[in-house]
Amino acid sequence: MKKFLAFSAVLALAFAALAATKEVVIPFKQFKLKNGLTVILSEDHSAPTYSIAVSYNVGSRNEKEGRTGFAHLFEHMMFQGSENVAKMEHSTLISTNGGSLNGTTDEDRTLYFETLPANQMDLGLFLEADRMRSLAVTQATLDNQRNAVQEERRLRVDNQPYGKTFEAVNATAYDNFGYRHSVIGSMEDLNAASLQDVQEFFKRYYAPNNAVIAIVGDFKSDEVQAKLNKYFGDIPAQPAAPQPDMAEPAQKAERRKTLEDQFAQLPRLDIVYKIPSGNTPDYYALRVMCQILSAGQSSRMYQHLVKEQELAQNAFAGAGSQRGPGLAQFGAMVRPGKDVAAVEKAIYAEIAKIQTEPVTDAELEKVHMIARRSEVAGAQSTLNRAIELADTAVNFGDANLVNETYKKTIAVTKDDVMRVAKKYLTENNRTVIVTLPKKAQ
Amino acid sequence: MRKSLICLIPVAFMAAWAQTPQTPQAPASKAVKEAFKNKAPVSKDVLKVKFPNAVESHLDNGLTILILENHRLPQISMTMQIRGAGGLFDPQGMTGLAAVTAQMMREGTITRNSKQIAEEVDRMAASISAGASTDSQYADFFMSGLTDNFVDWFALGTDVLLHPSFPADEWTKLKQRQLINLRQQRTNPSFLATERFNKAVYGEFPAAIISATPASLEAITPEAMKKFWAERFVPQNTILGISGDVTAAEILPKLKAALGGWKKSEWTPKLPADPAPATAARVLLVNRPGSVQTNLLMGNIAINRTSPDYPAFVVMNQVLGAGSTARLFNNLREDKGYTYGAYSSFSAATFPGPWRANAEVRTDVTEGSMREFFNEFKRIREEKVPAAELEEKKRTVVASFALSMESPASLLNLSITRKAYGLPADYWDTYPAKIAAVTPEDIQRVAQKYLSLDNIQIVAVGDVTKIKPVMEKYGKVTVFDSEGKVVE
Repeated sequence: MKKFLAFSAVLALAFAALAATKEVVIPFKQFKLKNGLTVILSEDHSAPTYSIAVSYNVGSRNEKEGRTGFAHLFEHMMFQGSENVAKMEHSTLISTNGGSLNGTTDEDRTLYFETLPANQMDLGLFLEADRMRSLAVTQATLDNQRNAVQEERRLRVDNQPYGKTFEAVNATAYDNFGYRHSVIGSMEDLNAASLQDVQEFFKRYYAPNNAVIAIVGDFKSDEVQAKLNKYFGDIPAQPAAPQPDMAEPAQKAERRKTLEDQFAQLPRLDIVYKIPSGNTPDYYALRVMCQILSAGQSSRMYQHLVKEQELAQNAFAGAGSQRGPGLAQFGAMVRPGKDVAAVEKAIYAEIAKIQTEPVTDAELEKVHMIARRSEVAGAQSTLNRAIELADTAVNFGDANLVNETYKKTIAVTKDDVMRVAKKYLTENNRTVIVTLPKKAQ
Repeated sequence: MRKSLICLIPVAFMAAWAQTPQTPQAPASKAVKEAFKNKAPVSKDVLKVKFPNAVESHLDNGLTILILENHRLPQISMTMQIRGAGGLFDPQGMTGLAAVTAQMMREGTITRNSKQIAEEVDRMAASISAGASTDSQYADFFMSGLTDNFVDWFALGTDVLLHPSFPADEWTKLKQRQLINLRQQRTNPSFLATERFNKAVYGEFPAAIISATPASLEAITPEAMKKFWAERFVPQNTILGISGDVTAAEILPKLKAALGGWKKSEWTPKLPADPAPATAARVLLVNRPGSVQTNLLMGNIAINRTSPDYPAFVVMNQVLGAGSTARLFNNLREDKGYTYGAYSSFSAATFPGPWRANAEVRTDVTEGSMREFFNEFKRIREEKVPAAELEEKKRTVVASFALSMESPASLLNLSITRKAYGLPADYWDTYPAKIAAVTPEDIQRVAQKYLSLDNIQIVAVGDVTKIKPVMEKYGKVTVFDSEGKVVE
């Protein structure tokens, strides 16, 4: 508890109250297999289930120009069969035995996961190991999943209002190719992906020494450790995968772009600023700042822009946690008859205020409570715990960060919030994207 | 959860690109060309789980209480199902009244204004909300939070539940936002598809309507909300479910003190006559210029929750289209590459609801997609499901119960479902045996009975100039614009 002593008397009282409640800590042990696979085990016998999360240290940031969308297309290929598992057999085996599964790709990492009844531990480990060892791809399965991914792009981007806005935000704000292009990629680049690309990508990035496996739930660690050696132990390590330089040159002037959207009904405003990577003190301060601005109906942006001034249909602020430079994002849907410029001005007024006046004790207290509640809620399912452990280990090299978010959040002071707001929310570091409904032809 | 979950970022920014949509359910089978290798180690046993029974109590005012203790984490969740306060009971001309009545409860009580409620909720990091959809007979009232400030958030939630004031100025503000929402939802192709589909299958039954209109919102007044709330939010029609870090002995006196004064009434909700399946096949096209996909949604009225056909229907749906390993997904995505996902599902409430099949497909394979949907409908009607596939699907249903043991809220929902539909006390204990007893003949029988192709209702949202010739093969076509008006 001594970590709390540095705080002011008022806060110390608040912590005394909190300290009286149950601490939520996710216990785990971590080790490496001989081939470099990082293993995280967290036993919890409260339900007869377990989850596996395998996080590979590769995402769209690793893509080459001309192959955007490839990391995610590759993720789909991991469900298409391996030496001992046929196409569709992986998902069928998991479902038939009562489990659930999926995979997901973002800029930084690619994640595969499943939850199963506790008596099916061998099944989950075997399936993850088989595709790590021996992915089997054919031109037919590649073409099939290319189609599925292109439909995913149509479904979520090309056929939706504001679908193309987020691509424009990153493409305009970032200079470095790694984050400038979208995870889903372009239709042309997806068309260009070849079988040889798949094989090279697999060899380079899908090695045990480039992955973390986290297992949470109803098992005995020593038994699972033996099974991990049995199923994964003979998968050969590969040379360390190259990691792209994510550095961004300092931005010298505001960037601004206007899009027309044929499906949109309301103008939408997106304002972003480049910020440091996640798990840095400044990142936590920016996150606290964004929560004060927009978490909950009592937040400043909701109360001012939506309720009082009735300028925006909704308004948001958020700080993205990335391995490389992230974005603090501000945005709003502009109400009919209201001026986009007036909404932009109102957001800048909120920013100016948080840069020049300390936030209140009550606002900080709210953020602390949000952190505490999300720590509790996040510890509910075995799957969520496994994902958080694996992802934080891959992205930031320290799985124990899952137990430290609350601490790092309450360490943020009023001065920190003002300082980071002044440092990062500057005109020269800003990108503004305005999405306007396309006028009827 | 949310590594990058920050404040409130709209979905577009979260950009989590997944192998399949994030809410899949079950597995699959036959369009697979490659034979399974059967080398993975599988335990033959299906883990038997004994569901903990929720403790049932009643207050003198008729409130039913179900409590499921789980002390692993210091949090408590309370959910109320208020029968008769859902949108199925919206008065004529005031569609949306139930929904806005529920939503307005957080906007003011006799002793707290909207901002005070928001401040208190956020200060405690609690959740307090009420909602009612137009096609449900229930309003839902939900509150949750941490154990250590339970007393405070429960008091606030109880105030919102029992003393809402429906302030006129807040309604003026909320109404403006709702009117804008009505415009925005028309840009969403799946909204347009569901709107048209519910109208087609439910006919005169009130679940046909899924949204308020500008005129119906303008007709709603704070007085109408007060009246609706006073009549409909009554304890004798309410089930309160509590899960998490409580004991019945501790919490019952608190519930009695807080909710014992909630006055019961004589009012009992009565639904109109059950919806019946549409009698002739129809094709309803919604023109959405610029669409690069066709949203296909088709089906018809089938069964209610207490139908003896329910277990067979569950398994039939597993075979046909529940999740990423069923026939529709296998065929339309994994074999043909027409779509990101193709599924079937069904609703079964106290009244019969529809079965439905759906996919979003690129415009130029609309024809091929319709052909494959119909091939799968015919196959499940005309051919007996092979034994191995049937066993797989039955096992899926039964084995997946183990996963619900992780979530007190899921377990509680089983108890609430049982109570809400008047199912026997041992319903969930005997459910696996009922699923296991389903035969290939049962599947074929329910498929033939309910998945009739002679009266199927088919909705397609997309670029009508391109898809109309294809869709005309499936029945009489009516074309609507995105405002819901018939254009041809």
